[in-house]
Amino acid sequence: MLLQLKNIFKWVNSGGQRIFLLKDINFEVSEGEFISIMGPSGSGKSTLLNVIGMLDGFNEGEYHFLDESVHSLKEKHRSNLYKEYIGFVFQSYHLLDDLTVKENLEMPLLYKKYGSSERKAKVADMLDRFNIVGKKDLFPAQLSGGQQQLVGIARALISNPKLILADEPTGNLNSKQGEEIMELFRQLNDEGVTIIQVTHSEKNAAYGSRIINLLDGRMV
Amino acid sequence: MLKNHIKLFLRNSFRNKSTFLINLIGLSSGLTCVLLVYLWVSDELVKDTFHSNKEHLYQVFRNVPNGQGSLNTYTSNSSMMLTALQQEVPEVDMAVAIFRINGTALVENKNKKLRGAGFFASEDYFNMFSIPLVSGNKSTVLKDVNSIAISKKLASTLFGSKDSAIGKSLILKNSEDELEDVFTINGIFEIPENSSENFDFVLSYKKFLQNRDPSDIHWGSNSSNIFALLKTGVQIEGFNSKIENFIKDKDSENQASVFLGLYANNYLKNRFVNGKRSGGRITYVILLSIIAFFILSIACINFINLSTAKASKRIKEIGVKKVIGAERKSLILQFLTESLLLTFLSLAIACTVVILILPWFSNLTGKELTLSFDSNLILLLTIITLFTGLVAGIYPAFYLTKFNALYVLKGKIPTSFGELMIRKGLVIFQFSISILLLIAVSIIYMQLDFIQSKNLGLDKDHVIALERQDGLIKNMDAFLEEAKNINGVINASYMQGSITNFSNSSSNHRWPGQSEESKKLTFRHAHVGPTFIETMGIEMKEGRSYARETPNNNSKIILNETAVKLMGLENPVGTVIDMRGPNREIIGVVKDFNIQSLYQEITPMALLCRTEWVSTLLIKIKAGEESQVISDLTKLHEEFNPGLAFDFQFLDAQYEQLYLSEQRVALLSKYFAGLAILISCLGLFGLAAFTANLRKKEINIRKVLGQTTSQAFVMLSSEFVKLVLVAIFFTLPIAYLLAKDWLSGFAYHISLQIWYFLGAGLIAVLVSLFTVAGQALLVANSSPANALRQE
Repeated sequence: MLLQLKNIFKWVNSGGQRIFLLKDINFEVSEGEFISIMGPSGSGKSTLLNVIGMLDGFNEGEYHFLDESVHSLKEKHRSNLYKEYIGFVFQSYHLLDDLTVKENLEMPLLYKKYGSSERKAKVADMLDRFNIVGKKDLFPAQLSGGQQQLVGIARALISNPKLILADEPTGNLNSKQGEEIMELFRQLNDEGVTIIQVTHSEKNAAYGSRIINLLDGRMV
Repeated sequence: MLKNHIKLFLRNSFRNKSTFLINLIGLSSGLTCVLLVYLWVSDELVKDTFHSNKEHLYQVFRNVPNGQGSLNTYTSNSSMMLTALQQEVPEVDMAVAIFRINGTALVENKNKKLRGAGFFASEDYFNMFSIPLVSGNKSTVLKDVNSIAISKKLASTLFGSKDSAIGKSLILKNSEDELEDVFTINGIFEIPENSSENFDFVLSYKKFLQNRDPSDIHWGSNSSNIFALLKTGVQIEGFNSKIENFIKDKDSENQASVFLGLYANNYLKNRFVNGKRSGGRITYVILLSIIAFFILSIACINFINLSTAKASKRIKEIGVKKVIGAERKSLILQFLTESLLLTFLSLAIACTVVILILPWFSNLTGKELTLSFDSNLILLLTIITLFTGLVAGIYPAFYLTKFNALYVLKGKIPTSFGELMIRKGLVIFQFSISILLLIAVSIIYMQLDFIQSKNLGLDKDHVIALERQDGLIKNMDAFLEEAKNINGVINASYMQGSITNFSNSSSNHRWPGQSEESKKLTFRHAHVGPTFIETMGIEMKEGRSYARETPNNNSKIILNETAVKLMGLENPVGTVIDMRGPNREIIGVVKDFNIQSLYQEITPMALLCRTEWVSTLLIKIKAGEESQVISDLTKLHEEFNPGLAFDFQFLDAQYEQLYLSEQRVALLSKYFAGLAILISCLGLFGLAAFTANLRKKEINIRKVLGQTTSQAFVMLSSEFVKLVLVAIFFTLPIAYLLAKDWLSGFAYHISLQIWYFLGAGLIAVLVSLFTVAGQALLVANSSPANALRQE
């Protein structure tokens, strides 16, 4: 088992009322799964993904990741945990505009204190694997959306995470580019990477092995 | 990682050129100011600090009641003070007396004639003051009556080299002190660079005493400067209270109390108010340091404001980095690295600029400044740059990195009320400083202008002053007669001392109807020629001038209005008084005229028609004929003084020199104020450009709902103008108090008008409006269709 959510509640107080963002969320994820989270706008999909990614907290419940109890961890410990095991892929790619493709890929390794030669080897490896060697010295603005997302995924993968969290990874892409990205996810999943994606599209959700449906913060 | 930071910094700067340039220009200007002021201040601070015993080296001052309720401080003392200190005061290790020769003396060797400045000094002079002798013995150089020590420079001009000068003799002449003698060169000295005093020769004090009329050697005749070296361990406060009545004990008639002041303080704290040291050059040292500091902080504020305002541009980078594993620490480090890189880049520019403008700056300040990168300077620069980089960078670094990575995913950062207030507060601070400097500069200029155009009671224009030397000592009258015959010369006369340095004074005079209080009155007095009053355009209030009197009469005197008033004389003309000699008849009263800087009020003054001690010739020329007259005068001067260059000065230039330091500071502050405003406006421009852009959508929604372009313009620009108005509101009272305080140092000053302040405020408003107007117009004029489509 990779992670387990137990009775997760998350709310905000607004105008004296408690508004629930997540209500009694319970599920387990095993290694190698490919899960799609679906639901209408405002149903809490992204919030749930952020909670899983430890970027956001929750008010009640338990969250176990590997053998750690995330809910009782200190902030610093928690961020170490997600930095080591989780890779993020964003709808709007979030590449650094001032860095080239190669430098964008290298960035996570810098923060994980890899040596220079090791960084070079891993970056070269990733460029090769995603077939973007020719683009390594281009800046994000010089790439198409699909290529940018490719770099985004490569960056998420470069430090070998156990889990990839993707928030509408194809939201900004046309259907052909979207399909390519989904194919890539399937391929990664086949290689053993656990993936949780948030998506609006039934078609994309179908790539996953399991679908979690949300409505008003509650699993349905 | 560092390489990565640098790379990101460079690419980021390149992409945001305007912000980068604003910061670069601001910080490098700020650092340039700091560097220039450092050079200036450090040159001021080391003045006279080379004396090895400076901690124990004191000058003896006198405080004398001026008969008008306060104390005047005098640097002069009786020559009798020297032996009295040496023999009677055990705390005094060594004492030295100096008598300064007014103006210059003529130094002759064979056919070479030069003017030189110098003084008589008692034997221990070179032991007490660390002025190194390149040849000669410190203890014996001034021992013989006719011995002289000359500067290395004078030695090489007169004798070719310093080695051939020693043991030779030269002739030295000075009219005021009736000195004309042959002296033997016993020593050659070299004045250290950072000496505030510059002189060419030192004579033996014995010579001075020998020449002095014995009747003039008493406790009431204050001709000399006295210096004392106190023994180690002597507490100056206790010592001063012990010797306070030293003079009064010797001379019951004398009102003067004595105190010792550190010689090293003379240069920077050279003004005395009511018997106590009160400011002087130190005021300007502090003032300029503060200004430089403020300009640098204005530049830092630009950096802080622009970095935080443009946070949204960087926030994505920060968020992404956080998500992919960056710790906050490393992000803070990244931003600090960026601000430090920027500051060091600015430092490099500042150094280049300073090297380029140093000749101009030296000229402006009247100093010979050099930029030498010694370890002190490098250390200081490093500290200042690190400090600046950290001050500018620390708030943005913490501010930018504090956000949760989640905000990035949501694509927005919350703008807190506090943060907005900080930004606004900083803009207000910038403009307060700028407005303050603006007001300061305008008031300094108006005061200087006021001083220079004030009716001094005499006509200083087109008057040539020259020193009475050489042939003029014996043939002054003949020279003046011939000078008067030159076409274009209106009048000519002479006087003791010079018109801007009229320091002779005396007290203990007697006149009919004298009150107890007015017995203490101190009078300035000068020996002048018969047509002095006419030549200088001084007006007679009553009676007659000396025009028809013969020089050297011992029975007449002319007083000024103030003297008559303070003496309480109702019908002064014809009254016989005892002043600088018994039984003098007052033949006239002149209207008050200013002979000193306008820091000082007009004091009681007496004019005596005598030729003794006269040192300055004054020639009044018709306006527009200066060049012809000067060439004629040069020929005439050559006839009377073969081989001596015709050196003269226009009187108005002499007056200007009285306010030299004010003028320099005024000029410097003008540039600094301009710079402060420029940097503030650059920052405002950056902020305005950014907020205008940020509010583009809002403005266009408003326009769709019916707001006109001009309303939009007013709305956008008023946001910043409001800040400037707040700055004006805070600054004006402070400026008013500071201006009042500065002006109170002048006896004659402009009265503060409300529009001086409002004018500066108005300028600030206009300049800031002008700065933001372009940006506001751009946005106010943008088409709603285009702007809203972008969303």
